[in-house]
Amino acid sequence: MKILAIDSSACAASAAVMEDERLMSEFFLNAGLTHSQTLMPMVDSALKCAGLSCSDIDLFVVTNGPGSFTGVRIGIAAVKGLAQAVNKKCIGVSTLEAMAYNLLGFTCIACCVMDARCEQVYAAMFSINIDKITRITQDSAIKITELSGMIRNCDLPVVLVGDGAEMCYNKLSPELPELRLAAECNRFQRASGAALASKLKDPVDFYNLGINYLRLPQAERELKK
Amino acid sequence: MVYTSKSVKQTENIGSELSKSLSSGSVVALFGGLGMGKTTFVRGMAKGLGLEAHVSSPTFALVHDYGGNPTFYHFDMYRINSWDGLYSTGFFDYLNNNSIIVIEWSENIENSLPNEYIRVNFEYGHEPDERIITITKRGEKHENTCN
Repeated sequence: MKILAIDSSACAASAAVMEDERLMSEFFLNAGLTHSQTLMPMVDSALKCAGLSCSDIDLFVVTNGPGSFTGVRIGIAAVKGLAQAVNKKCIGVSTLEAMAYNLLGFTCIACCVMDARCEQVYAAMFSINIDKITRITQDSAIKITELSGMIRNCDLPVVLVGDGAEMCYNKLSPELPELRLAAECNRFQRASGAALASKLKDPVDFYNLGINYLRLPQAERELKK
Repeated sequence: MVYTSKSVKQTENIGSELSKSLSSGSVVALFGGLGMGKTTFVRGMAKGLGLEAHVSSPTFALVHDYGGNPTFYHFDMYRINSWDGLYSTGFFDYLNNNSIIVIEWSENIENSLPNEYIRVNFEYGHEPDERIITITKRGEKHENTCN
């Protein structure tokens, strides 16, 4: 089965083609360019370089949040369009779950964090046991300070992943010296991670593909001063 | 810095002068009611940045893109009254971009402004056509608008 996966949920963006367990092609960008300009060229290249066209794809996968409002919508819209055009199903995967797959092969806790601005993060924790990933906490929007309590309770080494990882590492490592930061090459959500995470989920029709927005803690306050 | 403007031209010039001190990532938040010269000020900023764009209030479009490098974006928060509403304008994505952002009706979103921004207050002067324009830089370490 051939999967085309897309991630454009935050600053980085990527597109990948997987055939069963094999990653055939993957394009990744973290250059601060706008996804509206770079995503479809990457999708096109990921297919063409693998010698495929859109009609060869059996399943479309996309990270459906959390993430930036515009970014998530770009990815979802792209996959809905592609899936509709060739009449195939699609799967939405949590961005945080997709990036946990970066640590496959290790034994640790993946603390997946995305920068949600103003000292807030989208966060979820996963237990990684070599080739098995188990979710520990649901995707949530929290303050960085709340994260330290979650990390303190873990008995395995905790590795920070995601575009909020470096920020959290700098904030929390003085009080949590055991905390680790994933290497740059393992840090960001990838389309291939979304493809891997999709294996546990049921495909849906393109019109049932939804977005997972998380409400930020700051939204509970007044917007005006 | 406090300026007194007695005409549209002078308000434009003050905006133009401010724009020359801006760089990628700058956020300029305008405060002051209807008819205070906010859009005129933004028009001056666009001129100061060397842009030919036609400047008008994006009250309905929410944001106008005037191009340039870094890109100059003009927001109007007049219609924004909730976090969800603000989130769905994509405002936070623009803050991540390499851009210069000016925001009309910042009163409506004051708690969402980034830690560092330039605040521009418009007030009436003594004469009907007089405006007092006060420009201050916000974002000292002790001040955190996110808290």
